[in-house]
Amino acid sequence: MAKRIIIDPVSRIEGHAKISIFLDEAGHVADAQFHVVEFRGFERFCEGRPYSEMPGITSRICGICPVSHLLASAKAGDAIMAVAIPPAADKLRRLMNLGQIIQSHALSFFHLSAPDFVLGWDAPQSRRNVFGLIAADPQLARAGIRLRQFGQEIIEVLGGKKIHPAWAVPGGVRSALSEEGRDRIRQRLTEAYATTEAALGLFMKALESHKQEALIFGNFPSLFMGLVSPDGSWEHHGGKLRFTDSTGNVIADQIEPAGYQEFIGESVQESSYLKSPYFRALGIPGGMYRVGPLARLNICERMGVPRATALLRAFKQMGRGAVTSSFLYHHARLIEIMAAVEHVERALEDPDLLDGDLRADAGVNSPRGVGVSEAPRGTLFHDYTVDGAGLLTKVNLVVATGHNNLAMNRTVAQIARHYVQGEDIPEPVLNRIEHGIRCYDPCLSCSTHAAGQMPMRIQLIGPGGDVRREVVRG
Amino acid sequence: MDNELLVIGYGNTLRRDDGVGPRVAGAVEELRLPGVRTMACAQLTPEMADPLSQARAAVFVDAALDCPGRVRMRRIDPSDSSQVLAHAADPRILLALARDAFGRAPEAWLLTLPAEDLGFGEQLSRAARHGLRKAVREVRALHRRLRNRGPACPRPASGRLARTGRRSTRARRSRPACRAPGP
Repeated sequence: MAKRIIIDPVSRIEGHAKISIFLDEAGHVADAQFHVVEFRGFERFCEGRPYSEMPGITSRICGICPVSHLLASAKAGDAIMAVAIPPAADKLRRLMNLGQIIQSHALSFFHLSAPDFVLGWDAPQSRRNVFGLIAADPQLARAGIRLRQFGQEIIEVLGGKKIHPAWAVPGGVRSALSEEGRDRIRQRLTEAYATTEAALGLFMKALESHKQEALIFGNFPSLFMGLVSPDGSWEHHGGKLRFTDSTGNVIADQIEPAGYQEFIGESVQESSYLKSPYFRALGIPGGMYRVGPLARLNICERMGVPRATALLRAFKQMGRGAVTSSFLYHHARLIEIMAAVEHVERALEDPDLLDGDLRADAGVNSPRGVGVSEAPRGTLFHDYTVDGAGLLTKVNLVVATGHNNLAMNRTVAQIARHYVQGEDIPEPVLNRIEHGIRCYDPCLSCSTHAAGQMPMRIQLIGPGGDVRREVVRG
Repeated sequence: MDNELLVIGYGNTLRRDDGVGPRVAGAVEELRLPGVRTMACAQLTPEMADPLSQARAAVFVDAALDCPGRVRMRRIDPSDSSQVLAHAADPRILLALARDAFGRAPEAWLLTLPAEDLGFGEQLSRAARHGLRKAVREVRALHRRLRNRGPACPRPASGRLARTGRRSTRARRSRPACRAPGP
């Protein structure tokens, strides 16, 4: 009789989810699925509220991704007002998003993922975490915490220290960067560069001993999606959408974000509240795509700054056309941190950041507005429809973890097929399966539009649907 | 020591009573007590270990579902457990991170307030509103006691606090701390 393995909760991801592994009669892995098991209806809650309140509301969907929602929401508001925001406001929003990328990627790398490949997959679970990392390399662990702190400081300098700052608003931002704030950020750049270089060195060394993981952890052809600038450079806040395939060919380019529904369909799994978006023209499974750091690096031609562009060139040598291993999300994340630090340094030289002209004003000029921004985990859409008074009649949020849902299922199945042999699944194997999910650094609070945290489980399921084994952790 | 007392209020301000911790931090901030620094956040995150290590004492303020009508202050120690779950941390894990990564952990307390309603919204329940006022008084009292005690004795950078072996506290929704006495 075939069986199902359930991993619940998946630890070191944001939220609560479950992994089911289906075994066939011979005890081999037939399939695997990643489920999200909680839903709180955030989109419905927003209906009837003024669109101008949305940046402040949606930024509280999640304690990890507030800035991403804040910025996408403000952009959706810009579209409803049909205004071009002042250049200084756009540059300041971009600066805040860079801070968000730095802090989020630093947390993902140093706290959630590095313990596995620094301390070893087979290290005791009690050691395989940030405390184990501190014991192994205290200086690096401390530097990782400080790198995240640097990203948070950029956000705080701009938005103030209050929780979830409603700093970005439809039409612009509320305040400029002060000279003092600019200097505070500037004085930490040297350390941020050094930490990023050290992390890149650590990962490249780890990669030498993790060639098998790079081949097995989510290594398959797929499409990739993200924002790019008009000249094909890396983008994180402006630009338009691009899809490429696994050979590196551009299959759709410079798509207006407001037209995303023409290109992206959303399917629903019975067993999960996480929707499964796909590239509409190719359907499922051919239209499966990935977003986030790996995708952003695959779809762009340069990073717009020298150090990161050099790193990108070397990165692209790891694939044929596109880099297809999800294990290399970690590498892509570090290259993006480098790009973000360089872009921050460049931005601080721009006198526009101190400019006081920060807001465009208008009423409702369009019944629908779509705001798109690159969250650390991938492309984030806020799609609002309003009535004449500016009250929301429909809200649709499409988030990074959702975009990656089909790819996460495939990743879990690929790892399970390689490592799971029968019902006896040792902890290090469970950890490898979980790590397949951690490559994507998913945020389940965002993806289900829940607020707060959710916990997650691995189940082994037989062909008749009987749960043979269940592992609950955390 | 940069701060005598660091007050960290955490919770989601869009989930009604869950947001009472940040509100306590805000109310304490308005008092402008000397030597007191406040932080309001949705959840505890690792970089907080750095300012925590520089404080003489710390109070974590959180909402708790199963302490009806009661505001409780209790001493907490750095966690024995080295298990770090998702992006968020528990106060005792954060204390352990401050100790292990930055050389010291402050004396710390967990202040839990009653929560009745965690639905979407910003209004606090009557119990949480009452708890908020009482919690601010508790923080003021602790501040007075710390000041009366005199200047802090710096600990060596390598010093470690005693571990008690008590279970990890996740006050908000799962295992609220209701049993220990006040400071």
